[in-house]
Amino acid sequence: MNTNQQEKSDKNSEHSDKDKTVRLRIQTPRGLWSMDEPKDAQKRPRYPISTKVERVIEDARSVFKFVEQDSKYTLLRGNEKLEPQRTLASYKVEDGTLLVLSVQGGNA
Amino acid sequence: MSVPADVSLQAVQAELPLLLAYADSAGLAVDVTTLAEDNLRFFIRFQNANHEPFYVEFDCREYPLHPPTVEFVNENRSERGLKQLYPQGFHGTPCICMRYNRKAYSERGGPHADWRLLDWRLPTGNGIAIDGLPLMVSDLDSKIRDSSGRMS
Repeated sequence: MNTNQQEKSDKNSEHSDKDKTVRLRIQTPRGLWSMDEPKDAQKRPRYPISTKVERVIEDARSVFKFVEQDSKYTLLRGNEKLEPQRTLASYKVEDGTLLVLSVQGGNA
Repeated sequence: MSVPADVSLQAVQAELPLLLAYADSAGLAVDVTTLAEDNLRFFIRFQNANHEPFYVEFDCREYPLHPPTVEFVNENRSERGLKQLYPQGFHGTPCICMRYNRKAYSERGGPHADWRLLDWRLPTGNGIAIDGLPLMVSDLDSKIRDSSGRMS
């Protein structure tokens, strides 16, 4: 492989990584959001890995109608809290990963 | 008005599949082995930010007309409601001061004479309306994960 071919190959690799999508499963206190659950969901958890975590949280909230803005919504992978401003790629989230939407109510 | 124990048990059992799925995904250990008509209790082990375990009892008598009594207990369940069993950040009574906890109501010695038991599904403060057991578990898990250390 000459230098030009190597550069082209690297660019293709970057391009394909950037466009790579992952299908997630997101467990919420109102049910599981996946590629086939709930049946009547208007959207499915399939994302380019460049997607920010906050987008996934927004979508999961909309599917299960968590409309209250004053509650705290956090996406977890096991014991790890995913920061809303980071991308799925930055956490090396893989296809089929199970995440948890944690919902915290108010305080008296 | 009281709720027959078999009705409460059915209500809890109806919510268990989602509760167990959520808890399993979140790494929480649920013990429902003693749940029965004459013992409407189950237990969950949570972890705080330092991976320190906390144990919570859900006593579901009168559920779902009234909320459960939700209380921190020790690992072998011989002690309950002591400050050292609570994570930092909870009401100093000590109490899980949420509408979904029967202990928070003044009739049970809690701080809230302004709440009615029948309204337990209303939001606490400006938060989401916590209207079932899986949401209670999520709320508690989120608060315990955010805390470090014990109340005393």
